[in-house]
Amino acid sequence: MRGMKFSFLCKKKPQPTGKRIAIVGAGPAGLTAAGYLVCRGHDVDIYDKMPEPGGLMLFVIPEFRIPVERVRLGAKELEEEFEVNYYPRTKVMEGERLDEGDEFYERVIRLSELKEKYDAVLIATGIWNVRRIGIPGDDLEGILSPLELLFWIKGNKLGYVPDEKVPDLRGKRVGIIGAGLTAVDVAFECNRLGAEVEIFYRRTIREAPAGAYEINILRNRGVKWFELVTPKSVIGENGRVKAIELLRTRLGEPDETGRRRPIPIPGSEFQVPVDYLVFAIGMVSTPPVNGSYLAVDRRGRLVVDERHMTSVEGIFAAGDVANGPTKVGRAIKDGLYTAVAIDKWLRGEL
Amino acid sequence: MERKYLYVDYLTCIGCETCQTVCDFIHDGNPYIRIYITENKQYLPINCKHCDDAPCIKVCPTQAIYRDEDGAVRIAEDRCIGCLACLQVCPYGVPFYSLKVKAVTKCDMCAERREEGMEPACALMCPAEAIQYGPLEIVMNLVRERRAKNIPEHQRELTEEELRKSISSGFKVF
Ligand SMILES: Cc1cc2nc3c(=O)[nH]c(=O)nc-3n(C[C@H](O)[C@H](O)[C@H](O)COP(=O)(O)OP(=O)(O)OC[C@H]3O[C@@H](n4cnc5c(N)ncnc54)[C@H](O)[C@@H]3O)c2cc1C
Ligand code: SF4
Ligand code: SF4
Repeated sequence: MRGMKFSFLCKKKPQPTGKRIAIVGAGPAGLTAAGYLVCRGHDVDIYDKMPEPGGLMLFVIPEFRIPVERVRLGAKELEEEFEVNYYPRTKVMEGERLDEGDEFYERVIRLSELKEKYDAVLIATGIWNVRRIGIPGDDLEGILSPLELLFWIKGNKLGYVPDEKVPDLRGKRVGIIGAGLTAVDVAFECNRLGAEVEIFYRRTIREAPAGAYEINILRNRGVKWFELVTPKSVIGENGRVKAIELLRTRLGEPDETGRRRPIPIPGSEFQVPVDYLVFAIGMVSTPPVNGSYLAVDRRGRLVVDERHMTSVEGIFAAGDVANGPTKVGRAIKDGLYTAVAIDKWLRGEL
Repeated sequence: MERKYLYVDYLTCIGCETCQTVCDFIHDGNPYIRIYITENKQYLPINCKHCDDAPCIKVCPTQAIYRDEDGAVRIAEDRCIGCLACLQVCPYGVPFYSLKVKAVTKCDMCAERREEGMEPACALMCPAEAIQYGPLEIVMNLVRERRAKNIPEHQRELTEEELRKSISSGFKVF
């Protein structure tokens, strides 16, 4: 197998410009930007809090969708052929905040320090926090974060997570709330590990962001699909989850996304017993700042101008950290166009 | 020169849009591989298949469509009269009439890149390894290798029950 060729725009490194760029976050946005920038002759250093580059593609998305080797070899090519330096297990942060995957980092560097040391900085730190649902009982034992669960499973295979961290799901009932890319990937992995999986969704399969095609593949593999229900509370016993209490919903008028809004039906409560629950209802951008160092919008995304630059001159942002949850291709697109802007800015053309 | 194939495998494609993105980037916003979303939300990237027995080549009244030395089906823009006969016969609806160029345009297997000794960008960047480029034998092997990874039974640990069954039926389990 060959790796993704992030430097697909050139055959070898051209005459060096002497400019140094720090990229924070080695997901598809960061790596693709690195590929463009080395093809323009710049020196690139990449900082990431995980033990190796790849981002969600490597640590979260299941192997059958994106092979680990494909990402690994791609990152390695940047290092070996284009002299990109990786600084793994290094969290970049201005201020403090706990994010998913934080158990892997060993060092912290301040963003302002990178700004001092480099000619330009690119932030591509993605969406590494999971949205909390905020219903009674949502902190009981047995409630798993979808991201954490996925990188325990994949991280274990990669040798970073000890066996005892991966819950033994054989014969266990796992309830998943949500119907996006994250929900279906959690369902795939739990099903593969021998769990009885049931997905609960507040709209119908027609509105499901993951699409009927993916969901029907899951159903063929024995995953149960339960639509038009919304969680009301989590029922526990001795501090551990025992069941989920759901309300039936009906669809009302379309909301701002154009999809019909689910309306809970009062008095329709019922319970479904579960051993584990996963709320896969959305993810939140995690810029390497907490505080006023960089401007963020209402949803926590980094604000950028048409030059892809943040509120601080010389610090750029690309990928999900600026756009919210998207897809690999969108992150790559943003990474490319941001890299173009960085190159122009460094050459004084922007 | 040896005939090359550019094959998009819909069973391993995850619909991530990377191929369209990089194609869009190198062609100034006019991607030649485009994602179509089906009714049940399957994402299908469609580009020219560079067919072996290409109906578009046969039907073009001005012989504007030809095969280059790598096997790519190409359009000689200066000879195209815009009659869209090629679109009529293409099973994938690939030929795209560009008002700007005043000719049909479509995937040329990254002709400019090939001239510089580089491969088609979509195949290099697809994270799922769903796009393969190269001589037929190699492409076929890579597709089989990649497909094998996705057979769910290869990804699942066997239960005690299945293990017993397979042993009693004489199959060896690794
Ligand atoms: C479960 C799941 C399934 C998905 N499935 C698909 C799919 O099938 N197809 C598809 O197209 N898309 C899918 N996506 C979406 C896709 O993964 C993302 O859109 C894409 O990875 C975003 O790329 P990125 O480069 O912006 O960020 P990421 O890939 O998230 O990379 C961010 C990087 O930054 C690092 N980082 C974060 N904070 C810091 C910090 N403070 N300091 C240092 N490093 C930091 C992280 O370790 C990570 O390596 C899925 C997402 C999830 C969660
Ligand atoms: S890049 Fe690969 S996986 Fe993504 S849409 Fe294109 S063919 Fe499919
Ligand atoms: S344009 Fe259509 S018919 Fe012609 S080679 Fe491409 S896919 Fe085949």
